[in-house]
Amino acid sequence: MMEITEGSHAVAEAVRLCRPQVVSAYPITPQTHIVEALADFVANGKLDAEYITVENELSALSACVGASAAGSRTYSATTSQGLLLMTEVVFNAAGMRLPIVMSIANRAVGAPLSIWNDMQDSISLRDAGWLQFYAEDNQEATDLHFLAYKVAESKEIQLPVFVCFDGFILSHTYEPIDMLLQEQVDQYLPKFDPAEKLDAKDPISFGMYATPEYYLEFRYEMDQAQKRAKDVIAKAGKEFGTMFGRDYSALTVGYLLDDAETVIVAMGSVCGTVKDAIDEMRAAGKKVGLLKIRVFRPFPSEEIAKALSKVKRVAVLDKNISLGAKGGATAIEVRDAMYGSMIPVKGYVLGLGGRDIRKKDIKEIVSLCENGIGDQFYGLRKELI
Amino acid sequence: MAEKKKTCELFDCGHRACGGCGAALTARLVMQAAGTETIVVNSTGCMEVFSTPYPETAWKVPWIHSLFENASAVASGIEASLKKQGRKEKIVIMAGDGATFDIGMICISGAFERGHDFAYICYDNEAYMNTGIQRSGATPYDASTTTSPAGTCSFGNRRPKKDMPAILAAHGAPYIATASIAYPADLKQKVEKAINTPGPCYVQVHAPCCTGWGFEGDQTIAIAKLAIETGLWVNFEMVDGKVTKVKKVVRKPVEEYLKTQKRFRHLFKPKRQDAEIALIQAIADRNAGKYGLDINLRKE
Amino acid sequence: MCQTLCPEGCVHEDAEGFFDPDFTYCKGCGICATECPKEAIAMNQEEK
Repeated sequence: MMEITEGSHAVAEAVRLCRPQVVSAYPITPQTHIVEALADFVANGKLDAEYITVENELSALSACVGASAAGSRTYSATTSQGLLLMTEVVFNAAGMRLPIVMSIANRAVGAPLSIWNDMQDSISLRDAGWLQFYAEDNQEATDLHFLAYKVAESKEIQLPVFVCFDGFILSHTYEPIDMLLQEQVDQYLPKFDPAEKLDAKDPISFGMYATPEYYLEFRYEMDQAQKRAKDVIAKAGKEFGTMFGRDYSALTVGYLLDDAETVIVAMGSVCGTVKDAIDEMRAAGKKVGLLKIRVFRPFPSEEIAKALSKVKRVAVLDKNISLGAKGGATAIEVRDAMYGSMIPVKGYVLGLGGRDIRKKDIKEIVSLCENGIGDQFYGLRKELI
Repeated sequence: MAEKKKTCELFDCGHRACGGCGAALTARLVMQAAGTETIVVNSTGCMEVFSTPYPETAWKVPWIHSLFENASAVASGIEASLKKQGRKEKIVIMAGDGATFDIGMICISGAFERGHDFAYICYDNEAYMNTGIQRSGATPYDASTTTSPAGTCSFGNRRPKKDMPAILAAHGAPYIATASIAYPADLKQKVEKAINTPGPCYVQVHAPCCTGWGFEGDQTIAIAKLAIETGLWVNFEMVDGKVTKVKKVVRKPVEEYLKTQKRFRHLFKPKRQDAEIALIQAIADRNAGKYGLDINLRKE
Repeated sequence: MCQTLCPEGCVHEDAEGFFDPDFTYCKGCGICATECPKEAIAMNQEEK
């Protein structure tokens, strides 16, 4: 059903349709609208869930850990400082293999304090064990939540998922969304039925400590689950496409890749701007394409290596930094994926703290890349340094 | 040879606690009071570590350990989940004093303020024992720990014990009690009350630690008794924030308790520290006054 | 008393009503001996 709605509200509605039994909430810009909308649903009988207004983000995710372990589908949302505050629990939840889904309205991290968008928050926790999905627009932000629960709860995976979408840029903008109906979601997403849970009828212990004789294998199992996730995502994404017309089986999505000489690799809302810029560059005769990464964890190394095998050069955009590296986190992993190839891969760190990225910036980056200039911050205000 | 009748324990033997461990006894007694329809949420600490070395567990009830500070928050989530599933299991949190008085304050405060239904049992061995005896907010005045050591310029821990029961009473907890492994029947009764009173309830259990306090493992119960008999530990109950019952004692001088433990040895050797002992006596006297501890032997 | 106060929970009552520790789990802490009001338990040092 088509509706025009704010990103956060669309996400809240998607979550509502997933029928979580327990929602924990702590306010933080720019995700607050999500949890407010959920509170409203609960207060008006539209969502039959226990809603816990916790006293800090660490408790928000801890409550999800308890609820999930006890057998409930559960949800929370956070960003930036909140995500960092709950970092200990983030690693803990993945280690305990609890299929929690959490929305991250990507926001820069302090210091200096910033409420504006970049991806440093979720990227900084890329090795915690959570799957990471990145939305290009609010339709994806909405749909990726259904996919997230389905993949997280599958018996082969049982890992938590971050559904990331750019704070303010997506969370606070109105877009037309094709929202699924309850019957459709119920068909796609079955009731949460974990193999193991806290239950007096069948007592088990969760979250023990492991001596050196046992620990390594637990981490190996997590790594294996991430690897298996690619196929599970493909299957669940294809099923979504068959049922609802929007296919999410691909971890990366190409735009005008076929004959592209320069390919931009990017994640999130910037892809929209990139596509517009590409259209203009194509009209002017430049063969540019985009490879959008929609799933960052597990990292689609093979898919990227394959998609970029015939191009002349690659420009990776990162709205995050990996200090001391050539570019940001995505650039590092793209280069790793293309190891052995002679194709130059240049990284560009841009848009941090919400600095606007315009079509002309994309065009300029393509020019820089064509001239072999890259692996740097882009868009610096020289007068400030 | 007569057949052994094995009694079913929900906190079973084979755990790795030190011989004579007060916390282990606490877990046993709490589980006897709690029964099978219980979900236990355990903070990081001695109890969690000695009871669940993967792949073994001493717990015959559903049990979860998340992190050090967040047991109350995890319990909040479990409570919400059980409510939605229409399940009737009771939630018991087991946490040491470090997890309760210090690192867990935020989560406890939030959970108690929200009024979730669980019983929070703090096994108070008066320091961070699992990490090797460091001082916590529950460490009594002048106790020597590795981070509040007695030395030529120090008498040990400088601060009195944090009054957790009062803090949680201020949060509106409907039932709060202090208990001791010295009085196991009383302990079990209080735990049962905490579990069966709706809302967030708290029982603080004095659990002497032979390794950390410096005494022989067979003295654990005797020392727990002395703590109460000297007035340094008070067994009481609070209903809706008001003290309703107190265990009265014929009080012994605090010295009788202090000299049994290495953590207070510096008050006697190399030199008797009368001023410090007097300060500790004053703490006991204040407790006596506040809670009406003293049994009047003679009618004037 | 001994069964109640054993931190290991390894003291069990047999069919004749006597209480004995299960030596697989007994750590020899001695609480049972200290607390027995009848002094019915004695601690013996293990010998090789």
